[in-house]
Amino acid sequence: MSLYTYLLISAIIFAIGAYGIITQRSGIKILMCIELLLNSANLNLVAFSSFNGNATGQVFAIFSIAIAAAEAAIGFAILVALFRVRDTINLDNINILRW
Amino acid sequence: MSYGLLAPEIILTIVGLVIILLGLLITDKSKNMIGYFGAAGLVVALGYVLKTMTAEGSFFYNALVIDPLSQIFKLIFLIVSLMVVIASISYFKDNRNQDEYYALILLSTVGMMVVASANDLVALFVGFELASMSTYVLAGFEKKNPASLEAALKYFIIGSLSSALMLFGMSLVYGVTGSTNIPVIIEFFKTNPMMATNSLDIIAMIFLVAGFGFKMALVPFHMWAPDTYEGSPSVVSSLLAAGSKKMGFVAAFRVLVLALVAIRIDIQMTFAILAVITMTYGNIVAISQRSIKRMLAYSSIAQAGYISLAFVVMTQMSVAGGVLLALGHALMKGGAFIAVALVGYMVLSDNRNAKNLDDIGNFAGLGKRAPITAFSLLVFFLALAGIPPSAGFIGKFVLFYSITIEAVAQASNWLLLVVIIAILNSALSIYYYARVIRYMYVLPPNGEKIKEPTPYVVAILLAVIGTIGIGIYPEPFIQMAMNAASVLGV
Repeated sequence: MSLYTYLLISAIIFAIGAYGIITQRSGIKILMCIELLLNSANLNLVAFSSFNGNATGQVFAIFSIAIAAAEAAIGFAILVALFRVRDTINLDNINILRW
Repeated sequence: MSYGLLAPEIILTIVGLVIILLGLLITDKSKNMIGYFGAAGLVVALGYVLKTMTAEGSFFYNALVIDPLSQIFKLIFLIVSLMVVIASISYFKDNRNQDEYYALILLSTVGMMVVASANDLVALFVGFELASMSTYVLAGFEKKNPASLEAALKYFIIGSLSSALMLFGMSLVYGVTGSTNIPVIIEFFKTNPMMATNSLDIIAMIFLVAGFGFKMALVPFHMWAPDTYEGSPSVVSSLLAAGSKKMGFVAAFRVLVLALVAIRIDIQMTFAILAVITMTYGNIVAISQRSIKRMLAYSSIAQAGYISLAFVVMTQMSVAGGVLLALGHALMKGGAFIAVALVGYMVLSDNRNAKNLDDIGNFAGLGKRAPITAFSLLVFFLALAGIPPSAGFIGKFVLFYSITIEAVAQASNWLLLVVIIAILNSALSIYYYARVIRYMYVLPPNGEKIKEPTPYVVAILLAVIGTIGIGIYPEPFIQMAMNAASVLGV
C-alpha cells in the first residue's frame, strides 16, 4: 500500500472521531472517540516513519500510546467521580455551569 | 555532561514524588505541613532559575534547551505555582487528600517547565500532557462538588481534543520534514523552500494553531475556559489561568514562530483576526457576568487576545511585549483568583452552607470587611485594565508600541486599526472592573470585619508586589523579555 492509503485511512479515522465527539452524548463514547483521534495520529506517525526511513516517528508513537493510556485512565476516573455525585454521565444532564 | 541546569525540574519532581510517599506514611492531622514542604521546594527551584536567567545549554540530544526564553517562562510558572501552593495551605487545610493535591501541582509545574524548554516536538508533547493531565485532576479535586467535577469533565474533553489535534499536526510536520527536532525542521524548510508551500504544511499549521489555541483559550477555542475557571476550586483556577494558559503561549512561540517562520503564509492576517475577535468577545461578555470567577475568566480570554497580538507582527519587540504581558497577566490574574478564594472563605465563615461564593453581591463592602484583599483586588483590576504604574501597563505599552512602529514601517492601515481596536478594548474593560470596585468600596458591608488568614495574605501580597514592582521599575524586566525574544531570531 502506498503512503497515501495510510494517510487516507488515518484521515477517515480522525473524521469519525471528531464527528463522534460532536454528536455523542455519553461520556464513555466520547472517551472512545478521543482514543480514535489519538490513534489516527499514531497511524500517521508510523506510516511517515516507514516512508521517511527513520525510527523517530515510531518512538513518538510509543510515547503517545503511553500518554493516551494515562489520559483514558484519568477520563474514566473523572466519569466515575461524576457518576457517584450525579448518577449520570449523559452530557445533556451535566449543565450546572452555563452563562 | 552535567545536568545542573535542569536542577529546578529535578528538584520539583523529587519533592513531588516524596510528597506522595509521605502522604502514605503520616497521619491525616499532620498533612497540613506538606504545603510548607512543597513551597520550600518551589522556593529552591525559583532561586535556581533566578540565578541562571542568562544561562544557555542543551540536553538529551538537543531535546531540551535552556535559553533566556525558557528561563523567563519558568520564572512565570514557578511564581504562579508558589502563590498557589501558599494560598492552598489555607484553602485545603484539614483536607485528608491534600498530599496528592500538592504533588499534582508540583508535577504540573514540571510539565509546564518542560514545555518552556522543549526543543523537540516529542518533548513538547510529553510536557504538555504532563501539565494537562495533572490539571484535569486538580480541576475536579473537590470530588463531592458537582460543579468542580463538571468543570473537570469539560476541561478533560476539550483538553484531550486539543492534544489530539496537536499530535495530528505534529505527525504531519514530521511527515513533511522527517524530523521532530525544531532547529532541524527550520533548517529543512530553509534548504527546501519548495516544500514550504506544500498543502500538508498548511493543514499541519491549522491543526497546531487549533491545538495551542485551545490551551491559550483564543476564540473560537475558548468554550471550556469560563466553565472550568468557574467550577474549579479558586486556587486551581488561579493555576489554570495564570500558569497553564502561559504554557500554550510558550509552546506557540517555540513552534509557530520558529518552525513556521519559513512558511509565512498569511499567518499575520490569521492571528490579527483571531486576536481582535478574542479580545472583543472576552470584554463584551465579561460585562454581563455576576459571578466574579466567570468575569475573570472572560477577562483572561481578552488578555489572551492582547498577548496573541505578538504573533501578528513577530518583531523582537512585539514578542518581548507578549512575554512581558504574559508575566504581568500571570501575577495579576493569579493574585485575583486567590483573592476570590479568600472572599469565598469569608462567605463560608458567615454561613457554612452558602452557595455561589463568588457572586458579586458578596463583594459588597469588602473594603471594610477585608481591607488587604479589597486593596489587592483594586490593584489587580486597575493593572488588568492597563493603568500605570503596573505590570499590565508596561506589557500593553511595549506590545502596542511595537505594533504601531511596524504599522508605520509597513504603511499598513489595517495594523493601525488593530492597535486602535486593542486600545478601545482596554477602555471597555475598565467598565466591568470599576463595577466590582464600586461594590467593594461604595456599597455597605453585609457582615463583620474578618481576620484574613496569613497564607492567603502572603500569596496575594506577593502578586501585588510583583505587579507594582514591574510597573515602577520595568527596565530589568524589559531587558529580560528582549533577551528572551532574541532567542527566536525574528
